[in-house]
Amino acid sequence: MSDARNGDREAFGRLYDRYARMVHGVLLAKVPAGAVDDLVQDVFLLALRRLSTLREAGSFGAWLAAIARNQANDYHRHSAPEDQLANDRSENEIGCGHASQDRQGPANQGRANQGPDQHGSAVAILDAVRSLPDAYRETLILRLVEGMTGPEIAARTGLTQGSVRVNLHRGMQQLRAKLGPHPSQERPGIDRPEQETSQS
Amino acid sequence: MEDETPARGGDYLWDGSGEPDPEIQRLESLLGKFRHDRPVPPFPAVPAMVPDRRWTFLPRRIRLFPTLATAAAALVAIVVATFLVYGRKPAPTIVAGWNVSRVAGTPRVGPKTIGGKEGTSRLGVGQMLETDSQSRASLEADDTGQIEVDPSTRLRLLKMGAGLKRIALDRGTIHAFIWAPAGQFVVDTPSAVTVDLGCAYTLQVDDSGAGLVRTSLGWVGFKLNGREAFIPAGAACATRPKVGPGTPYFEDASSEFRAALARFDFEDSTLQQRADDLAIVLGDSRKRDALTLWHLLARVDEGQRILVYDRLREFAPPPASVTEEGILRLDQPMLDRLWNELGFDDISVWRHWERSWSGTATPVREK
Repeated sequence: MSDARNGDREAFGRLYDRYARMVHGVLLAKVPAGAVDDLVQDVFLLALRRLSTLREAGSFGAWLAAIARNQANDYHRHSAPEDQLANDRSENEIGCGHASQDRQGPANQGRANQGPDQHGSAVAILDAVRSLPDAYRETLILRLVEGMTGPEIAARTGLTQGSVRVNLHRGMQQLRAKLGPHPSQERPGIDRPEQETSQS
Repeated sequence: MEDETPARGGDYLWDGSGEPDPEIQRLESLLGKFRHDRPVPPFPAVPAMVPDRRWTFLPRRIRLFPTLATAAAALVAIVVATFLVYGRKPAPTIVAGWNVSRVAGTPRVGPKTIGGKEGTSRLGVGQMLETDSQSRASLEADDTGQIEVDPSTRLRLLKMGAGLKRIALDRGTIHAFIWAPAGQFVVDTPSAVTVDLGCAYTLQVDDSGAGLVRTSLGWVGFKLNGREAFIPAGAACATRPKVGPGTPYFEDASSEFRAALARFDFEDSTLQQRADDLAIVLGDSRKRDALTLWHLLARVDEGQRILVYDRLREFAPPPASVTEEGILRLDQPMLDRLWNELGFDDISVWRHWERSWSGTATPVREK
């Protein structure tokens, strides 16, 4: 970290290697897949420019994740509705839909509920993950898409291991409900875990 | 923090150990196509940001590097000369603060008007920014975010530290888009304290000190004297002096719902009127209005709490670790676990950041 702050591009490259998957996953949870790679680079460029303002090196991951979330928010803020629709359309064509919690339409929800067997593609699964509450979708994407373990997710995002564990298991339970072969299994009302698990 | 024992999948979901869960493996395999696989891009050169502490002016090292020694000597000479010439003038200092840009009219930082060709200024700690009815301004701080300031607004910068950035909004409207880590940007108003949790929001304060926050992205915390409110995107929450935050609500709730809630929160009603208003709120509530009902649990009296809880659990069945008795006595861990069932965000985020600022969650009075 200190080398990167001193302008060492190789050191910053090592930070990229270490955190790029996390940034990619955070972005993929919120923006169309086609826009994610460019935004990953934007996030790191922004971080590079602002690295001098980060006073606690230990919070780099959380800081970077915050920048990524804000970049994702900024993407939606500055994208014209027609652009977003176009993105979503092309994304669906290449195999990646967008169904954020706030913008999830009944059609998307229904499609996710039908399960991957009927749709036979990763698109519906990604749609289903992205229809989960924010905290769950981000953690699940880091685990299932980016291949990070729970401890890695905690270390990279700055979240506690307890939070990550809760988000993973609750998110997975909600995802199973959405992907289940029988849509009727999903409970009416607000999604909740199938069963309450024990506490630490 | 509540822990979760593995459901299906065992430890495999957590760290890939244990017996693999075929369903998770299938998901990993299918979703792996979206995985990040780009190499490190070429990053532009950046200047060194921190002086290299290894360099010291040891005579021996200087002897070993004559060029460096010469350069150092020249530098010392320049510094000495500069000091002799300008020594009595105060050195310019870069103060912590926000860059201010004029958007319209003639906003003022302290007594200084921002206008003319340059159109920019700096808002330092202790300074005030004021816009009149024709003026607008924009604030930006690299490590914090951007704030658009509407006409007829007055705000003061209270703190700009490494961990906490704090402003006071005395009156008017600001639109904040914050990229600082959650919990670091705090706005004091005459009737509540807002804390950003990674979001964009609009905050209004009128001349009486009453406020309204409307969240457009992420979520915002509102707190005063132990009364708290969490406001996710799409929701709003009003505050009143001496009362603090009202109950947050989604802005697409029915007008009857919102009117009854406003009366319940802020009007000096009779018991019967309060009961009538609560009945309207409960009757008109939808699934997403669980947000409002959860907050109401701590705002109604004991006799009404069971009514609110009964309605709430129709929308969000409580987990097994939450009991009716616990909710009725406002057991905080149970309330937090119930909140986590609502699908907005994990309340531990708030509990974590709350500690860093809630000790000073008292609104700053207007000066």
